[in-house]
Amino acid sequence: MTVKDGARFAIEVLRGGLITARHFAVNMARHSLRAIGIRTRRTGAVTIQYPEARKQVPSRHRSLHRLLTRPDGRPRCVACMLCLTVCPSECISVEADEDPDPEIQKTPIRFEIDLSRCCFCGFCVEACPEDAIRMDTGILEWGRLGRDDLRIEIWPGPGPGRKI
Amino acid sequence: MCVVEIDGCPKLELACATAVKDGMDVRTGTDRGCEARRVVLEFLLAEHPLDCPVCDKAGECRLQDYYQDHGLFASRFNEAKTKRAKLVPIGKSLLLDRERCILCTRCVRFLEDITRTHELGVFERGNRSEVGTREDREVATNYAGNLVDLCPVGAITDREFRFSTRAWFLKRSASFCPLCGRGCEIWIDQHPGFARTVRSKRIYRVRPKENPRRNGPWMCAAGRRGFAVLDSHRIDQIFRIKDGRRTILTWDKGLHWAALKLEELSAKGHSGRIAVVLNSFLSNEELFLARRLFRDSLHVGSLAFLDPEPGIPDGFLLTSQRSSNRRGARELGFDPAPPDWDRIAETAELLLLFAHPLLDAAAKGPIEKAWNRVRTRILVTPRESGLEAGADVILPSALPAEKPGSWTNIDGSSSAFESALESPGEALAEWRILTGLARELRIDGMAGLESIGRVREDCLRMHPFFKVT
Repeated sequence: MTVKDGARFAIEVLRGGLITARHFAVNMARHSLRAIGIRTRRTGAVTIQYPEARKQVPSRHRSLHRLLTRPDGRPRCVACMLCLTVCPSECISVEADEDPDPEIQKTPIRFEIDLSRCCFCGFCVEACPEDAIRMDTGILEWGRLGRDDLRIEIWPGPGPGRKI
Repeated sequence: MCVVEIDGCPKLELACATAVKDGMDVRTGTDRGCEARRVVLEFLLAEHPLDCPVCDKAGECRLQDYYQDHGLFASRFNEAKTKRAKLVPIGKSLLLDRERCILCTRCVRFLEDITRTHELGVFERGNRSEVGTREDREVATNYAGNLVDLCPVGAITDREFRFSTRAWFLKRSASFCPLCGRGCEIWIDQHPGFARTVRSKRIYRVRPKENPRRNGPWMCAAGRRGFAVLDSHRIDQIFRIKDGRRTILTWDKGLHWAALKLEELSAKGHSGRIAVVLNSFLSNEELFLARRLFRDSLHVGSLAFLDPEPGIPDGFLLTSQRSSNRRGARELGFDPAPPDWDRIAETAELLLLFAHPLLDAAAKGPIEKAWNRVRTRILVTPRESGLEAGADVILPSALPAEKPGSWTNIDGSSSAFESALESPGEALAEWRILTGLARELRIDGMAGLESIGRVREDCLRMHPFFKVT
């Protein structure tokens, strides 16, 4: 490295520092003015104190799936497997069985989603003819330590070791 | 649904009920014909429930196909649809859904014209007519499974397949049923599966594949249910058993061990003390290789066939012979007679047993006696046969559907198939085992027979009988 390069390097570091300092000064000034009751055209930058404070999720967000139930507590899902068919990441697996009610005919006995594959596209929600699956639980923190823990059973429900 | 326009006829004619004549000019796609079909379809759908999401037939339903071709109309039917019984057991694990039934009477006619058992009929009249069993008798015929296939809608479903998957997930591959001498051609429906999803079953259903010269469009219940049995308790690793301890071998080592034992005896001129037991589930190519290897090259002392006991034929498709290729074995110059176990027990030092897939502990009394007397026992088997404990080496082999080859049915007609299924684990087709043994034994006449195509070529050159017509 020549002396010329070294000088250029030092200048760039200094410039970066000045940008940070400028942001600090501007935001500090805006917050201080706001604290004494003077409103500026733009407010100071805000950092949410996650996880103590949380941002409101918009109503049309897509979060962890849930199966809706009928009034008697059984799932609305009839295991038609259209969600499996439409799923681009092949992450849903459903096992079907005979429903005691011949009008309903078919019911899932296990509904599993592999969250490590799910891309949260919401196609399953759109494809469902029974409006049985929705992605509106608001649960966004489902990180796990192992891949197998990411295969979650949403029906008959989070069993032992599968808490969501 | 099959009305067509025929020149010279003022009205539309039913295609299925009009005899073909010379010089007839038939038009299927005219506006008049299509309009008539559309109207008939609208009447059919007026009483048909919207069950498609839960109906097993969806995806292969004729009514859905016709709606795609002719319909695509919105329903004009304002009245409530009639409620009918949805789960009527009609016997042999069949369920009838009267709401879905369109009263085409195919099932009734099948039981009248093909099986002549007359179990089903149409009862009541007009709007109230429905299919049912006569005097609560059940459909008991061996061919009941065909009702599910021939029902154009999902009115008759099979308890075994019901709700296990959807039709569009299944991938079909052509094969044949090895369980009797007829050799019905079949489709094996598999689920290719999704990544990381464990499938409970490998084969979801077995359906007949139409072959007018063999099985027509039908097959029997034994074939449909038999595959689940064949594919259970499979052996998928090569084992060497010494002093009751099992060790897992590679194919190279397993074949080398077997070849070494064969060579030991044949080099000393004791080929007469080698006994080989084949079975007639093997393909023509495999029997051809076995003949070359054991009879022409090694000159083994005894070469016999161990097959399932003959059963009772049902006069239609099921034959008394309960293995697939006895005819092929005869054409290749074998006498497919059962082995003389007493003689084997006295004279043989090495027994190479190609177990057939249905061999099980129930039928092995005399076998076991001989098996325990022989010094070296090599077992080639696709499934657990109950003889594993006494074997020195176990070589896992494939089911007929898992290997390419040709089989000759009881009438002498040969068909060739590609492998429809994958073999589990390390299991290898018998022809690969036989060529592997020949390679290890350095048999001159069998060099170059490394691909099934070459074996087939050689076999056909010497036995033009096996030409697939």
